[in-house]
Amino acid sequence: MSVFGGVIHGTDLAILIYFLGLNSFYALLLVLSIPEIWEQTRLAEDDDFQRLMQSDALPPITMLVPAYNESATIEASVTAMLTLEYRSYEVVVVNDGSKDDTIDRLRHAFDLYEVPRIYPETIPTKPLRAVYRSRTRSRLLVLDKENGGKADSLNAAINASRFPLVIAVDADTLIEPDALLRLTRPFLLGREIAAVGGTVRVANNCTVKDGRVTDARVPHSLLAGIQVVEYLRAFLFGRLGWNRLGGNLIISGAFGLFRKDYVSAIGGYRTTSIVEDLDLVIRLHQYLRRLKIRYEMPFIPDPVAWTEVPESAKVLSRQRERWHRGLIAATWQYKGMMFNPRYGRVGFLAMPFYAFGEMLAPLIELFGWIVTVGGLATGMVDTTFALLFVLVAWCYGMLLSIWAVVLEEVSFRRYRRFSDLLLLLLYASLENFGYRQRTVWWRLKAFVSVWKHQHVWGEMTRKGFATPPS
Amino acid sequence: MTSRQFLLVVALVQGVLLAALVVLIILNRWFRLRRSAHLQPRRAAVDDAMRRWAAGAAPLAGVLIGLARLPVSLAIDALVGWSARVPGERWRELAAELEHQWWARVVRANGNSARWWKRLECARFLSVGAMPSDIARLTRLINDPHAAVHIAAVASLERMESTPLTLTALERLPSLAPTVQAYYAGMLRRSRPVVIQHLQKRLRRTDDPALPRLAEFAVRLAEPALRERMTALADHTNLEVRTQVARALGSFPHRESVAALTRLGADSTWEVRAQAVRSLGMIADATTLSLVRGLVRDPIWWVRLRAALALMRFGGAGRNALLEIEVGGNAEARDVAKMILGLPAQALAEFAA
Repeated sequence: MSVFGGVIHGTDLAILIYFLGLNSFYALLLVLSIPEIWEQTRLAEDDDFQRLMQSDALPPITMLVPAYNESATIEASVTAMLTLEYRSYEVVVVNDGSKDDTIDRLRHAFDLYEVPRIYPETIPTKPLRAVYRSRTRSRLLVLDKENGGKADSLNAAINASRFPLVIAVDADTLIEPDALLRLTRPFLLGREIAAVGGTVRVANNCTVKDGRVTDARVPHSLLAGIQVVEYLRAFLFGRLGWNRLGGNLIISGAFGLFRKDYVSAIGGYRTTSIVEDLDLVIRLHQYLRRLKIRYEMPFIPDPVAWTEVPESAKVLSRQRERWHRGLIAATWQYKGMMFNPRYGRVGFLAMPFYAFGEMLAPLIELFGWIVTVGGLATGMVDTTFALLFVLVAWCYGMLLSIWAVVLEEVSFRRYRRFSDLLLLLLYASLENFGYRQRTVWWRLKAFVSVWKHQHVWGEMTRKGFATPPS
Repeated sequence: MTSRQFLLVVALVQGVLLAALVVLIILNRWFRLRRSAHLQPRRAAVDDAMRRWAAGAAPLAGVLIGLARLPVSLAIDALVGWSARVPGERWRELAAELEHQWWARVVRANGNSARWWKRLECARFLSVGAMPSDIARLTRLINDPHAAVHIAAVASLERMESTPLTLTALERLPSLAPTVQAYYAGMLRRSRPVVIQHLQKRLRRTDDPALPRLAEFAVRLAEPALRERMTALADHTNLEVRTQVARALGSFPHRESVAALTRLGADSTWEVRAQAVRSLGMIADATTLSLVRGLVRDPIWWVRLRAALALMRFGGAGRNALLEIEVGGNAEARDVAKMILGLPAQALAEFAA
C-alpha cells in the first residue's frame, strides 16, 4: 500500500471512529431523554396551578426585555408580558438607543412618566438617558439608554431589577401565559437552582392573537418547517438528555431564568461576546464550580416561548454563522475548563462534546467528504462501502429527528392537527437532504469569519406573526 | 462479517426502526384521539353531576359513579378542581363517601408505594380528600423524600386541622429551601394557634440551628403573640436571626420594639441596619427620628435608601429632615434625599413595600 493509500485509510478510520463516538453519545442522550421527559411530563401534569397562583411561595421575577428598533411590535409584546399568570413580577424594558420611535410608542401606550434613577449601577453599562414608570401598569419599568447592544441592555435591566430571579426575554418572543409559573417549578421543588431554561418553539405560521399563540401550526415553508424539527430535537432530547448528565451548557437567551445574585457576581452579560447566552452559562458554571457552590441548571420542557425563525436562506445563514462563531469563540476562550477536574462533568463531558462534537463537526465532515471523494477517484475507497456509509449516516440523522417528534407526540402534543404531524414527519425525513449540508457550509463560513476577526451580529429580518382572520 | 455487510445490517436495522417509529407516532395519535373521545363525555358528566350535587339538586351517588368511571388521574384532577368550589361541609360529606370507593382505596394504598409518582397521586388525592384516619399516612407523605410528594401532601393542611400534621410540617419547615418554606408557611397559616404555640417554644432555644428559618417564618405570620420572643432575639449572635428580628419588629409598634430597633439600627452589619431602619419607618416613633436621619449618612447605599424612605413615613418632620439633608454637606446623603424627594407617591409606595 502506498503512503497516500495509507493516509486515506487512516483518515477514513479516524472519521469512522469519530462518527461512531459522536453518534453513540447522541444515542446516550436519546436514551437519557426518555426517563427525563417522562418525569417532567408527570410533574407538569400534576401541578396544581390554581393553588400555586394563590400561594405567596412563588419567587418574584424580573423580566428583562431588551428592545432595539421594535416599534412595530413593542406595544403588543409588552402588553402580553404584563398579563402573564404570575403573582409577583415586573417587566423592565430597555430601549437600546433605537433609531425608530420605540420609546415614543412605549411612552404613549403605557402613559410613562420619568422618575429619578434610584439604584446603584452594579454592572457598568452605556449611559442611561432616562428611567420611566407607567401610570397604567405598575409592573412596568422602562429604561432609555444609549446603544450598547443586547448584552449591555440586559445588564442595564439587571441593574434596575428589584427581584432575585431574572428572565431574559426577546421583545419579539411570545411567552405562554403560564410559562413563568411552570419555569419556577424546580424552585418550588426545593432544588438548588442557578438557572433554568424553557422550550423555545417556532411561531411561523402559528395564529397569534393579542400576543399569544392561539393555534400552533407547522409552517408550510420547507426552511421554517425543518427548523421546527431542529428546535424539537435541540430542546426535547438534546437538553433533556443533558439534564441527566448534569452539564447543560445552553440556556436560550430568548427564554432563560437566572438567579440574579449569581449573574451579578460574574459581572452580568459580556458585551464583547457574540453569543451572550452561551457565554453567560459557561461563566456561571465556571464561577459556581470554582466556589464549590452546589447548583443545578436544568432544562424543563413545558414552559414555552414562541419565536419567529428565518424563512430566507440568507438570513438563516447569517444566524447560523453567528451561532457557530459564538461557539468557536466560547470554546477557545474557556478552553482551560476542558478536561479540568475542577469543573467536573462540565469540564469532562459538556465542554469536550461542544468542542469536538459540535464546533469541529463541520470541519471533520468536510474533511471526510474530501478524503472519500479523493479515495473514490483513486479507487482506494470502495464505492458500495462509501454509499452504504452515507446511507447509514443519513438514516441515523433521520432517526434522531423522528425521535424528537416521538418525544413531542408522547408528551406535549402542541400540534393538534394530524396534517401537522405528517408535515413534521416529512420535514424530519427531508432534513438530511440538502438542509443539513447547507448548515454545515454556513458553519464552515464561521471559521473563516473567526479567522478574519469579523464581529458582526447580522441583521435578523422578521416577517411578523399571523393573526386570526376577523 | 465484512465491514460492508456490517453497514448493510445497520442500514436495515435503521430502516426498520424508522418505519416502526413512524407507525408508533401515528398509532399513538390515533389511540389518544380515541381515548380522549371516550373520556371527554365522562369528564363532562362528572362536572355536571358535581355541579348539580353542589347546588343540592342531585344526590352524591351520581358524582361517585362518575368519578369511578374515570381513570384515577382524571378523577383526582376533577376532585382537585372542584374542591375549591364546594363548601366545606358538603365536601367533607364527599370525602367521607370516597373512603368506601374501591379506586380511592387503591389510591390510598399507593401512599406506601416505592414509586414516587404513585405516592404523588396519593398525596394529591389526600390534599383534598383526607379523613382523620389518613393522618398517619399523611404524616409519612409530608416526610417523603420527593419534593413533589411532600409539597402535595402538605396542602392537606388547608382542609384538615390536625395538631400532629401541623407539627410534622413545622418540624420539616426549617430544612426546606426558601421557596418551599414560603409555600409551607402559606399552608400552616390555617393552623395558627398550634403554630404560634410551637414557635413560642422553639424561639426560646437560642442555640437551635433552625432559628433563622423559624424567625423568618415568624416574620411571615406577623403575630403579636410572638413579639416578645422576637424582641428577645434582637441581640442574637447570628446575623440572619438579627435581620429577621429587625424585619419583624416593624409590625409591632411597642416601646420594647422601638428600643430593640434602636440597638439594631447601630448594628455592625448593613443588612441588619437596613431592615431596622425600614421597621423604624413603619413604626414612625418621633423619638427615633434623629437615629433614622443619621442613617441617611450611612456608608452603605441600601441603608441610606431605606433610611430616606423611612423618613418619608414620619410625615412633615421626616420630610423637613430630608429637605435639610438635600442641601446639607454630605454628598451621598444629599443624592439619596434628592432621589426620594423626587419620587411620586406611587413609586414611593412601591419602594416602601
